Amino acid sequence: MTEPSAARAWAVIGLFERPEDLLRAAARLRGSPLGRVQAYTPYPVHHLDEALGLRRSPLGGMVFVMGVLGALTAFAFQYWMSAVDYPIVTGGKSPRSWQAFVPITFEVMVLFATLTAGLGMLFLLNRLPDIFHPMLASRAMEKITRDRFALALESSGGQGVDVDAAKKVILELGAQEVEVLPLPAPAPAAPLNFLLGLGGALVAACVLAGYSTYWVIKLYPELPPMSHMERQPRLNAQSPSGFFKDGRGMRPAPVGSVARGHRPYLIKTPEEAARLVNPLPRTTETMEKGRVLYAVYCRVCHGFLGDGRTTLTSAYGAKPADLRIKRLALAPDGTIYHAIMVGKNAMPSYAYELKEDERWAVIHYLRALQRAQDARESDIP
Amino acid sequence: MRIAALGALGAVGAALSYFAAGPARFWVNWIVWMLFLASVGLGALFLVGLEHLFIARWSVPLRRTAERVSGLVVPAGVAAVAALGSLRVLYPWTRPEAAAKAVLAAKSAWLNVPFFCARTLLCAGIWAFSYRFFLGGSLSQDASKDPAMNLRARRFAPVFMSLFAVTVTITAFDWISSLQPEWYSDIFGVYLFAGVFLSGLAGTAAAVLHLSGRGRLPGVRGDHLYNLGALIFAFTVFWSYIAFAQYMLIWYGNLPEEIVWYKSRVEGRWLPVILFLALLRFAVPFAALAARDAKKDGRRLLWVAWLVLFSHWLDLYWLVYPELGIGPRFSWPEFSFALMFVCAGLAWMRRQLTLGEDMPTGDPFLKEGLEFRL
Ligand code: HEC
Repeated sequence: MTEPSAARAWAVIGLFERPEDLLRAAARLRGSPLGRVQAYTPYPVHHLDEALGLRRSPLGGMVFVMGVLGALTAFAFQYWMSAVDYPIVTGGKSPRSWQAFVPITFEVMVLFATLTAGLGMLFLLNRLPDIFHPMLASRAMEKITRDRFALALESSGGQGVDVDAAKKVILELGAQEVEVLPLPAPAPAAPLNFLLGLGGALVAACVLAGYSTYWVIKLYPELPPMSHMERQPRLNAQSPSGFFKDGRGMRPAPVGSVARGHRPYLIKTPEEAARLVNPLPRTTETMEKGRVLYAVYCRVCHGFLGDGRTTLTSAYGAKPADLRIKRLALAPDGTIYHAIMVGKNAMPSYAYELKEDERWAVIHYLRALQRAQDARESDIP
Repeated sequence: MRIAALGALGAVGAALSYFAAGPARFWVNWIVWMLFLASVGLGALFLVGLEHLFIARWSVPLRRTAERVSGLVVPAGVAAVAALGSLRVLYPWTRPEAAAKAVLAAKSAWLNVPFFCARTLLCAGIWAFSYRFFLGGSLSQDASKDPAMNLRARRFAPVFMSLFAVTVTITAFDWISSLQPEWYSDIFGVYLFAGVFLSGLAGTAAAVLHLSGRGRLPGVRGDHLYNLGALIFAFTVFWSYIAFAQYMLIWYGNLPEEIVWYKSRVEGRWLPVILFLALLRFAVPFAALAARDAKKDGRRLLWVAWLVLFSHWLDLYWLVYPELGIGPRFSWPEFSFALMFVCAGLAWMRRQLTLGEDMPTGDPFLKEGLEFRL
């Protein structure tokens, strides 16, 4: 004959009317051998953590570490970009000006810290993807989310709580009502479908937002708040301006002045320019120099391969030439030199940006681009 | 007794320095210390005003201490009036050549001796009046237990806040900025305010810990200290933010009339001073008070409070002293001034700490304040 074992449950819940009662009861019940003590309240009750003997949340430490990491990341990133990878002197400041990095360092620190606090709380501490808790199946939950304070003895390790003993203890502590949640622990209805739906909706929302942003920027590159600094008081090259008396935006050079190192370019037509000869030897250094200069001055318009696939938006309004076409491939170096010197239609002159040997270096590289995309079998070594 | 003797020694040294080291050095030290006393007093007064403005309960048990510390505005006001003697020595806009400079001529409607004196008197008067108003009402309540006093203080608080903002800004612009009158920085008033509130908090915290160490503030617990510590922590960051914002904008713009001020303050021998200040005023208190329990720890809060007070002095020194053009120096004149003003301040505080009860026992919210829990 086995003795009928005492009734066991997943949890025994007691409801209290006031937070003080809960605090007192929690302190007394703390460490009870009957089960794990948990409290449920409609709002955060001060000092409940002490009464329950909870350990300190690890969130503060996590936030601190991530904040420091964010600051270091941002600082190192900016330093690398501005001082190592592509040093540019702006406003007469050294590319190593730490002062300029501070605001972004600060902001990224805050970003890392707050994201850690929010996501760490939701995912690590509140176990977020798991949206079900057995307590949600209880009747008491409705009252807890309104105006009652609950203390529960919950089963730890699956053996269940001794119902009679737990009930007795909780009633002795002054609970008004007691509810028993039977074993086995209530299971979630269909959380998987819900989660899949939620994840799917999130992905769809991201895709939608991404594509609509992309297309809006593509179609309306100059939507009012983002006029890309188009409209600002400035003098435009080759444009009229009311600022000067003669109504011209560009200033003529003082009569008789010649820029240092300037060589007059007297050629007027591409045909005339055809007789110019590229003076630079075709060495690896020249090619490398031409590659860098092409990337800086020509690539935005003529594309990575010289195929005219511009990276500019439609606001530019002109179609840069495909530099691989037969006419240009066969044209002598001088014709291309002429295009760089005087420009052509929507292409401005690059005579001032590039020095003479730099122009010829770009042309060498351009030739290599043309050839590379029209390779012959004999080119294979 | 010992304080009086040391203070007298300092006073003798300070007086001697007028003749041995020159009036300019004398007045520079005077102004630094006058501003220091004013800062601590005003900061504490601001804390009192805040309590009334927001009807705060937690700070009621500490209010009497803050009211007592705010009494430093009285000697500070006297010192400010005395400092009017420095105008012709230190302030370039008082000199006849100033009229020739277009910028200074344009500012002469504000920067002229009679108006400056009037402003100084007005500020000192406003401080003394506000202090008497808050303290007087609070003291009379000890006996009368009349809750109407709270209402009176509450009605005055917004007025006080406006006056406080204006007078602190005037003090910053008049006594510090106008040492180099071509220079300007809009945020400078806020910069001084950050230091004022910090040093007021630190002075109050030091006094609270002094009293509670002697058992005179029963019921003041870690929860109250936590709030004081949290405010010190917050305003440590606030000061750093404002200080850096001002510096960065001027550094970026690099305009001649603005950058000169920093050129004489972050270069050469002043560089170690400002780095030291950044360490003492930002890095150390930040690290010391960042953890939650650190703010409740009276011992730690006490040394942080003294550190904050010292760094506020260093800040004022760094703001004012470079105008002498002799680099950072701390020798016997400076030491004498420190002795004189610290002893005078402590002696005054000793008197202040006997005013009324240690806590506002007549305030109906005292009980609630003592029950305050985080
Ligand atoms: C702002 C955009 C832009 C940049 C930058 C630019 N180009 Fe052009 N380029 C154009 C356009 C547009 C055309 C087509 C002009 C036409 O035929 O109307 C063109 C045409 C040319 C042509 C053909 C000229 C001809 O005879 O038909 C050559 C060669 C050329 N570019 C070389 C260069 C080189 C080399 C660089 C770099 C130094 C460069 N371009 C930079 C826009 C640009």
